[in-house]
Amino acid sequence: MLLLCFDTATPQVGVALGSDDEILGRIQLARPQHHAEHLAPAIHYLCEKLDVTLDQLSAIGVGIGPGLFTGLRVGVTTAKVMAQALRIPLIAVPSLDLLAFEVRYTDRLVVPVLDARRGEVFYSTYRQVPGGVQRLSDYEIATADDLAGELSAKGEEVLLLGDGALRYRERFYDLDRMEFGPQSLCYPSPSALVELARAKFFREDFCQPRQVHPLYLRLSDAELNWARLGR
Amino acid sequence: MKVLTRSVEETRALGQRLGETLLRPGDLVVLSGPLGSGKTAFAQGVARGLGVTGPVVSPTFTIVREYEGRVPLAHVDVYRLDRLQELHDLGFDELLDDRVTLVEWGDAAGPVLPADRLEVRLEMPADEEDERDIRIAAHGESWQARARHLGELLVPFKGEPAR
Repeated sequence: MLLLCFDTATPQVGVALGSDDEILGRIQLARPQHHAEHLAPAIHYLCEKLDVTLDQLSAIGVGIGPGLFTGLRVGVTTAKVMAQALRIPLIAVPSLDLLAFEVRYTDRLVVPVLDARRGEVFYSTYRQVPGGVQRLSDYEIATADDLAGELSAKGEEVLLLGDGALRYRERFYDLDRMEFGPQSLCYPSPSALVELARAKFFREDFCQPRQVHPLYLRLSDAELNWARLGR
Repeated sequence: MKVLTRSVEETRALGQRLGETLLRPGDLVVLSGPLGSGKTAFAQGVARGLGVTGPVVSPTFTIVREYEGRVPLAHVDVYRLDRLQELHDLGFDELLDDRVTLVEWGDAAGPVLPADRLEVRLEMPADEEDERDIRIAAHGESWQARARHLGELLVPFKGEPAR
């Protein structure tokens, strides 16, 4: 069994290839932020070095955010197209889950925080359970200050990780007993994606390509105000 | 703050002055004014001021054009958009961080643009074909600190109308 997995919800392009019981290889590039230029070559390089051809793949795993539009559209579209063209299952995993899974050994409240730009962050909250983490709340977008307020109200020991946690680090300094994740866990890990997608693969928890939608979270129903401007 | 330019070249020069000495990565400039009022000319000036060397053309049909310069520039035109969601879907939120972003017809998209911004409104006086009244308003923290610099920079453009 071979799983090709990638996550592009952040400035990073992360690609990993995994088998039943091993992460065979991974590539993580965070700069420059050129998802469209990096993703396909990274997949190609990994497959070539590992002597894997695309027709050997068992499934595609993809991170669906929440995250930034320019990266997500590249990753999710690539995943859909590959799954359809190769006629193999598609597995969707939220990108925040990947961050939380990496720190499943702590009994703190785990809060992965990704930079949504414009002073806002994507986040959710998780708790350690046997073998992994369990999500306790929805995927949300808020200002870093609002998140700090929410966490302060909980009054729990917190582990914050992700590029949003590091960028707005000083906003969280007032929290009692908080801890920050390292730079190495700043972006969703493609190896974590292999592990979570593999579990879904064995449960046959697949998605139809047309049913997979990125989690953008930043939505606006309003129309542009042309009435007054006379376009 | 109100200034006056007497030609397209002067509108361009005003943009260039802003680009050269005032604008920095992360800045948002919201341009408004009717068709033909010189929004693109102003943008061309800003681009020159930021060290963009190639030609700068209207982004009306591509919606976003990106330029490399001393400071990178994103030139956006929302004229063809109908829904604010389309701006999010274009990745607009990600542009802002590390470049100067200039939005033509930006007043139509007010609610989704950050509050921290420089507003530039070009108006065409009815009786003077080449003159433009330009109103410049700076909003937000990062601009408060630069208000004086902005005022000084606009002095050469405060000439009396030649009527």
